[in-house]
Amino acid sequence: MTEQIMKILADIRPDVDFEHETALIDDAVLDSFDLITIIGEFNEAFGIEIDVEDIEPANFNSAAAMEELIRRLVNEDD
Amino acid sequence: MTFYSLPFLCFLAVTIFVYFLAPKRFRWIVLLTASYVFYFLNSKWLIIVLFAQTAVTYAAGLLIRRVQDRGKLYLSEHKEELSKEERKAVKGRTRRSAKHILLIGAALNLGILLLLKYSNFFIDNANRVLSFSGIRLPSTCFLLPLGISFYTLQALSYLIDIYREKLEPDRNLGKFMLFLSFFPQIVQGPIPRHAQLAAQLYAGHSFDLKRLERGAQLILWGWIKKLIIAEYLALPVARIFSDYQAYPGSAVFLGAAFYGLQVYADFSGGMDMARGVSEIFGIGLQQNFRQPYFSVSVEDFWRRWHITLGEWMRDYVFYPLSLSGAFTALGRKARKWLGNSAGKRLPSFLSMFLVYFLVGFWHGPEWKYIAYGIWNGIFIASSILLTDVYGRMRGALRIRGDSLPWHIFQILRTFFLITLGRFFSRADSFPIAIRMMGRMASGLFDFRWINRAGLEDLGLNLRSWACLLVFLAIAFAVDLLHERNTAIREEISKKPIVIRWAIYYAAILAIMIFGVYGPEYDPAAFIYEQF
Repeated sequence: MTEQIMKILADIRPDVDFEHETALIDDAVLDSFDLITIIGEFNEAFGIEIDVEDIEPANFNSAAAMEELIRRLVNEDD
Repeated sequence: MTFYSLPFLCFLAVTIFVYFLAPKRFRWIVLLTASYVFYFLNSKWLIIVLFAQTAVTYAAGLLIRRVQDRGKLYLSEHKEELSKEERKAVKGRTRRSAKHILLIGAALNLGILLLLKYSNFFIDNANRVLSFSGIRLPSTCFLLPLGISFYTLQALSYLIDIYREKLEPDRNLGKFMLFLSFFPQIVQGPIPRHAQLAAQLYAGHSFDLKRLERGAQLILWGWIKKLIIAEYLALPVARIFSDYQAYPGSAVFLGAAFYGLQVYADFSGGMDMARGVSEIFGIGLQQNFRQPYFSVSVEDFWRRWHITLGEWMRDYVFYPLSLSGAFTALGRKARKWLGNSAGKRLPSFLSMFLVYFLVGFWHGPEWKYIAYGIWNGIFIASSILLTDVYGRMRGALRIRGDSLPWHIFQILRTFFLITLGRFFSRADSFPIAIRMMGRMASGLFDFRWINRAGLEDLGLNLRSWACLLVFLAIAFAVDLLHERNTAIREEISKKPIVIRWAIYYAAILAIMIFGVYGPEYDPAAFIYEQF
């Protein structure tokens, strides 16, 4: 899953160091369009539904936080 | 009672005095009383509308949480007995009930706003459509309560955040009344979120001389922007927009550019005053501007201009719409006929377009404001759809994205596009805005009017022009320093007392000598106060 997430992120924003960035939202590295595109890709790739309630800096500030959100939603569906 | 009047200063002094004299746990009551007195002095009995919206929002917030709590309690009490499907069904029912309350609360708030602010817009347009039939609907005659466009959005975000379970509702009606009516922000924002502002309002802050000084710094700077820069710019703007045919294209463009600067000085000056007043009480209001004239794209401009409105639209319109089932399905279909990249961006494109339509309509019940929103929306939405094309074009032209000339070109291009949009918001009507653009295009490089007589014809004598240019240069320098992350107020505060007070006296003297104020002069209200 980690690899797949990193690939999706790198495809959308190749200029961002997703390995090390921990304030993607707080430092405005990602804008709202990036976020919507990323969410769309995650929803499709992992068969989940990231809701508007999930759009919080804590869930998208780093690739690790995104992975945690995805895992939580995948488990919720199970 | 405007922020820049003597009665307001007296009112503020009394409020500060009583606030810090009162026991800490009652200090929020001082702010509430001051806010309702301020509102009554400005809007008289329209205060009832504010209170009605407050009461509706307060009750709806509590009801939403009660429904959600009941659902959770039921689930925890029947955890063992319920199957997975039944648990899902209970969650769904709870969500629907909470949503119904949210919709009622939102509809009542928006209904009042639509009725008071927009009813004549709909009636006039209906009359145009019905003109052939001889039917004519009568116009309404409502007065607009102060700040209704701002506090209604504040109330809606409060309800939605409770519905999204990101916020606990206020249990104390008095405290919630303060949240919606806090006097420095009710006139023209910023549009605060409950999570960011409420706790600060309800806490009793101690007196702090440094905060008083820092607050006064902001108020002084706000006055300079409003009473000197905005008021001076207002004169040539009014001349050019009222008689644009008498001026060549370059002067017409200058009129629109000056109007943009006037709005910036007026609105951001008002924000500085609001933030300065709040800071004295120990309350930090959110920044509403971040050097917008240094923007490199229209999209960037709207991230720096009226930030709290942009963030409101992003969180409560753009995100929900972009992620909605209908828009997601449309995006999937669009990939087939637009290609993968553009198809994916279509939901964002459409949502953004709608956001800017709403931003325009929020500014006022006229088509010209809708055109203003759409104008901005076109550039932002197209940049989403054409990102790849722009990237390829830059590559083909071998333009380095990080070079200084390219950066300056981007700033100037954005300034030009934003300035063109100002025709819509300032001209008397949409057709006049179009005609002004035509006039501008016909003589954009005709500068023969720039001489003493030509300049004085715009309503300012040479001394006033010089004064305006000096203060515009100061404002530019301040923005440039902020853009380079210099904390100007902190730097001033670090200076020796003599230099500090020399700066403050110079600012006060500048306002007294050059400021447009006094009993014989009736300064216009803040531009955004009318929205």
